[in-house]
Amino acid sequence: MNILESLQAGFRDMASHKGRATITMIGVVLGVASVVAVLALMRGGEEQSLAFWEELGGLRELRITNTRIDRLMMSAAEKASERLTYRDAIAIREECPSVSYVDPEITRWLNVSYGDLTYRMKVLGTTGHYPYADDMPVEEGRFLCDKDVETHANVVAMGPTFKEDLFGEEEAIGKTILIEGVPFRVIGVMERKEFYFEGDGPGNDRNVLEWFNRSHYIPISTMVKRFSITDRLDGLEVAARTVEDVPALTEQVRTVLTRRHGVEDFNIDAKTDRIEQQAEQMVFFNIVFWAIAFVSLFVGGVVIANIMLASITERVREIGVRKAIGGSDRDVFLQFLVEAIVVTVLGGAVGLLLGIGMVGAIDRFLDMPTAVAPSILLVAFLCAVGVGLVFGIFPAIRAARLSPVEALRYE
Amino acid sequence: MLIETRDLTKSYDLGAVQVDALRGVTFGIDEGEYVAIMGPSGSGKSTLMHILGCLDTPTSGRYSLDGSEVSGLKPRELARIRNKKIGFVFQNFNLLPRIDLVSNVALPLVYHGSISRSERFDRSKKLLDSLGLGHRLGHRPNELSGGERQRAAIARALVNEPAILLADEPTGNLDQRTGREIMTILGDLHSGGRTIVIVTHDAGIAEQARRTVHIEDGRVARETVV
Ligand SMILES: Nc1ncnc2c1ncn2[C@@H]1O[C@H](COP(=O)(O)OP(=O)(O)OP(=O)(O)O)[C@@H](O)[C@H]1O
Ligand SMILES: [Mg+2]
Repeated sequence: MNILESLQAGFRDMASHKGRATITMIGVVLGVASVVAVLALMRGGEEQSLAFWEELGGLRELRITNTRIDRLMMSAAEKASERLTYRDAIAIREECPSVSYVDPEITRWLNVSYGDLTYRMKVLGTTGHYPYADDMPVEEGRFLCDKDVETHANVVAMGPTFKEDLFGEEEAIGKTILIEGVPFRVIGVMERKEFYFEGDGPGNDRNVLEWFNRSHYIPISTMVKRFSITDRLDGLEVAARTVEDVPALTEQVRTVLTRRHGVEDFNIDAKTDRIEQQAEQMVFFNIVFWAIAFVSLFVGGVVIANIMLASITERVREIGVRKAIGGSDRDVFLQFLVEAIVVTVLGGAVGLLLGIGMVGAIDRFLDMPTAVAPSILLVAFLCAVGVGLVFGIFPAIRAARLSPVEALRYE
Repeated sequence: MLIETRDLTKSYDLGAVQVDALRGVTFGIDEGEYVAIMGPSGSGKSTLMHILGCLDTPTSGRYSLDGSEVSGLKPRELARIRNKKIGFVFQNFNLLPRIDLVSNVALPLVYHGSISRSERFDRSKKLLDSLGLGHRLGHRPNELSGGERQRAAIARALVNEPAILLADEPTGNLDQRTGREIMTILGDLHSGGRTIVIVTHDAGIAEQARRTVHIEDGRVARETVV
């Protein structure tokens, strides 16, 4: 028999062993599908936790503060330095390749009036990245955005307490108020923040978060342009593009500021403890991820191997018969090779589809995060096909080498 | 001579002990002969048949079949000889359970190569017809009686027109009446010119053969010719 005939015979024989082929294929299908589902779930969980850490934020951010220096001990260079300024923030934004955004902050007490009412209020010059913005969403309207900062817009997001003082029940959004005589359009009203300590000691009827409610927010650029004699900052945070960029950004910021100040009179706090905590989390997560992936692959493999081996007795006797009537080792081997390849490859493909379907269902009905990456599909497919081939072919090779009598006697 | 053996031995090494199943078998079979092999259980009859059928190789000794030496051939060449020159009938039929009778009978033709599918079918069908199984072509072996299975196995053994038909207790798994049916078929085949070697425990069956070789303890003890 030539190879072509052997392969043809293999296909024919497989057709005559529909039961065996089907059962093996089901094993491969289930093995692949479950591996895909487990890996996708693991991956989904990993991505979600990453997103969660990102969301929690702060990980990409550096807090930059002025170093405390005793005025009497100052060196000449230190005396000459302007300390952290709005211009520093701009320079960092322009010159540091790893920066995503800068969030400078200047606080002033200013006269705010509407109609014939005037109050002295705390006004923060800041950006859309103001760290409490997420924590303290607007009740109506919107918070500051990058565009407001770029255009030095005269816009203000009001704290709820003064909104009530100035407007009462009246609609505030779109109205114009005067800050130090300069007209500002109200774009948003912040949500009220409340927190009371428990118990009834003195002062416990005070809302400890009331100062939030009494603050107004205007673009930092507007603050500098209109109300600041100096542009010294009361706070500066800068964010790296990714968590991995944090060390690079730290160095870039240090270089830029040292050049501008002539001396290192600032601290850069990278919140490294949190980043390290995150890294530890990820290492742990990866270990668990791969352990579970390995176990599921192993289980899938065992299922496939088991089904393959279950038919080995029958196969070996069949090999005995085929050899007894003139099949050569090669003929017999090729027959089983064809069967094993077709069964595992076909089963693997169907398993991938089923796995993707299962993942879709999990996503939809169980509302669990999943992520099917091509690498997952490839790993699942190769493992199943590999196991199927090894356990389908290896015993067949051994059996093909037996003498016909030995194979016929096999039990 | 069609078959000639010289000092055939076969030993099984079972670690601690060595079993000598054959201890030097020398005999010959002419073309067209009908030979019965008899002997007590465990005397080595099956072992001898397997070697004659090239299903197993002797530990030592010489064996020539149809004028060419067989001992020392490669597995591949032995497979060709099994396919083209030998038809082997087993006590337990050894049909493939998952395929129908025609396919079982046609199997040696598949390994023969270069015989078209339709010709394989025609030849197998004709043989099954002649053995009274024409109405069973599409049946699987487990749907048939023991006698029918053995007839199918004989058809498979004959389909490649082998030089010799070897049958190891072909009636061993059958009741007496069915056994006689099979023996009638073998008798007819012999009358038609086939060379047949059959192992049997049944003296009545052995009588059908012209010549009986008695094996005892791995050796040819005596021969009787009628
Ligand atoms: N694979 C084997 N391993 C070990 N010993 C074996 C093997 N095959 C056969 N034998 C031994 O060889 C001897 C001959 O066995 P064989 O099957 O040829 O006997 P037999 O004459 O056919 O017997 P029976 O009439 O019962 O079929 C026995 O002692 C048997 O146990
Ligand atoms: Mg025997």
